[in-house]
Order: sequence, then C-alpha cells, then structure tokens
Amino acid sequence: MSEYKKIFKNNLWIENPVFVQILGICSTLAVTNNLRNTLIMTIGVTLVTALSNLTISAMRNVIPRKVRMITQVLVISFYVIIVDIILRAYLPDVSKALGPYVGLIITNCIIMGRAEAFAQGNKPIISFWDGFTAGLGYMLVLVVVAFFRELLGFGTVFGIRIIPESVPAWTIMVMPPSAFFVLASFIWIVKGAQMKKTVKTSAGSTSASGK
Amino acid sequence: MTLNRESKIYTVVFTVIVTFLFVFILSGLNTFTSDMVKKNQEIFKIKAILNAFGLSYVSNDEAMEKFKSEVSKLDVKDYELYKVIMNGQEIYAVVFSGSGLWGNITGVLAVDKDVSRIVGIDFISQSETPGLGGRIEEAWFKEQFKGEQIKDDGIIVSTTKVPDSKDDSMVDAITGATLTSKSIENIIRTYVPVLKQLLGVN
Repeated sequence: MSEYKKIFKNNLWIENPVFVQILGICSTLAVTNNLRNTLIMTIGVTLVTALSNLTISAMRNVIPRKVRMITQVLVISFYVIIVDIILRAYLPDVSKALGPYVGLIITNCIIMGRAEAFAQGNKPIISFWDGFTAGLGYMLVLVVVAFFRELLGFGTVFGIRIIPESVPAWTIMVMPPSAFFVLASFIWIVKGAQMKKTVKTSAGSTSASGK
Repeated sequence: MTLNRESKIYTVVFTVIVTFLFVFILSGLNTFTSDMVKKNQEIFKIKAILNAFGLSYVSNDEAMEKFKSEVSKLDVKDYELYKVIMNGQEIYAVVFSGSGLWGNITGVLAVDKDVSRIVGIDFISQSETPGLGGRIEEAWFKEQFKGEQIKDDGIIVSTTKVPDSKDDSMVDAITGATLTSKSIENIIRTYVPVLKQLLGVN
C-alpha cells in the first residue's frame, strides 16, 4: 500500500507535473481565468490520464516498441473523444462553455508523459492510480491559479461575487499573460518551501554524522 | 512459432488491429449518441431564437412548445427567417453565421418590423476563447443589444465604456476580447442589410 501512497505524494507535491516537471503549461495558461471551466477541464484531464494509463499498461506487453508512441497517442485520443462525446450528449452546456479545449486535452504533455514514463513499465492498477494522481496534481495547481485569476480579474469565485463591483477589476488577470505571473509566483513560493525543507534535512543529517 | 514483437509484419498487423478496434468503438459510441447530440443542438437553436425574441421559458419542453405555438418560420431563399407577433408588433429574426476570432459564430438576431431597433441577440454556437471571447454568451453582453437603435446599418461595439443609452447605437465590448467583440459588430453589419432586403425595408 505504501507504494500507492508514495505515488500520491510524488504526483501531488514532490514531483508535481506542473510546478516541478513544468508540463502542461499551455493549458495552465489558457483555461485558468475561470474556476468552473478550469475544474471541468482538469476533471477531464484526470480521467483521461487515469484511463489511458490503465489501457496502455494493460496492453504494454503486446505493443511493438517501434509504434509505442503512436499507440499511446491513439489510446489518449480515444479517451479524449469519448469525453467530448459524453459532454456533447449529456452535458451540452458544459461542452458549449469549454468549446475547443476538450479536444486540446490530447496535446497535454502530462498524459503522454505518464503513459511513457509509468504505464509502459508497470501493472495496470497502479498505472491507473499514477495517472489519476498526476491529474490531481495538475488540478491542484490549476485551481489555485484560477482562483487568484478569477478573484482578481472578475472579482468572483465560481461566478459568485466576492470583491464588490465598485472596486476596479484587475483586467490583466483575465488575459493569458497574467497566468505567467501567477504561475511563476506560485512556483517560486512552492519551490522555495521545498528547497528549504531539503536544506534543513540535509543539514540535519550532516550535523548528525558529525562532519 | 513464437511471435517476434519487433518484426515488421507484427508491427503492421498490430497497428491495423488496434486502430480498427478503437475507431470501431468510437464510431459506435458516436452513432449511439448522435440523435441526442442532434436534439441538443436543435434545442440550443430553438432556445436561441426564443431568447432573441425575448420570449421566456423555464424548461426545454416549454421552450419547444412555445416555439411551435408562437414562432412561425418564413419561407425565404438562403436564409432562415422567423417571425413572432408580440403585443401586436411583428418581430423578425434571422439565423446568422459569421467568422469570429477562432471559428464560426452562429446565432440569432431579432429586429423590429422596420429594422430600426435590435430586439435581441443570442448565440447558438461559437468557439471563442473560453473566459474571454466566450463571454459573448453572458447575459450582460447580450442584454446590451436589447432595444438598441440601428444606425448606418449597424451598431458599434465600443472598446471604451459607453453610456447606457439605447439611442446611441453603441454597446460595450468585452475586456480582453476586442477581436471577438468586433466580429459581432461585423456580423450585425452584414445581417442588417440582409434583413432589410428580406423585409423590404429601405
């Protein structure tokens, strides 16, 4: 069970796909000015990562090496299209709001990254878990970024007004460039905290060994 | 004979089978849901037409019913023209399609009988940037057009704040989505003459 816990911790924090591996940046910049869209998009990514990891892992022993990546892309796009079809049939309003972004889940580097790095060499269930937690790690960062962008840009959170209308909204927060600033600040703070911890633990171990 | 996973034959056969399998499932799923998707699109269009006319509804069923009983489709060439009679006034709406920033924007534009004022506007489909141009779907943006006077065959979607007047032929653009806002302006400018021609107004 500890293996699962370790994967969870790695994907969510220690090796977070967005702020440590710097993957999936394109969508991080594009969809994070509105919490509702961000949440739906990240749920989509999480499901696709988990299921494509499961599938690729299940068939890993029959995939020829030469067409490994083509097969991965095939499986990933398969699930993305399923998500798109389901949204269009059962949640037409959400599908309308997200527009082209559902299709663009295919290009999210995290999904293929997990398929290549993990699912290719591990058993199905644990691969599913790895994909799922990687998706959650992605969701964590995007929701935080979207929270600040929506709050400062529109004065709302999930469409509910927090900052009164009389306070001028910070228009730049709505536009894509602001995501660079928010994400960079986020990485700065988080990495700073992570480094401090490493320094502390390594310093502790050196003093303990008496050097 | 053991299978050589790296042989050319195996690779080709594997690729063909796997691709066939996945595409087969997808097309099955697509056929299975296509009726529902079509129905959803139909409802979107009917709702957009009702919204443009300013007819209110609560549920999808009510919208369908209201559309059947109150809206009549006029037979014109090349365009989809609808008509309702509200408080003794004839109102007309045309289904429009024009280019936005990323793709086509389709919707409904309703005007009064002599094409002097916009009655309402609503969108059926658009693929503008979510959170920026996609905000044309928001109520405040569409609300601005209601009752706005048409001048020189159009109205101006202004990037600077404009007064709340219905007679200045100006509405506010969306911050951060100037190009989408201007596309709407262009679409209206294209369709006002079309409406004038269809309704025989000079």
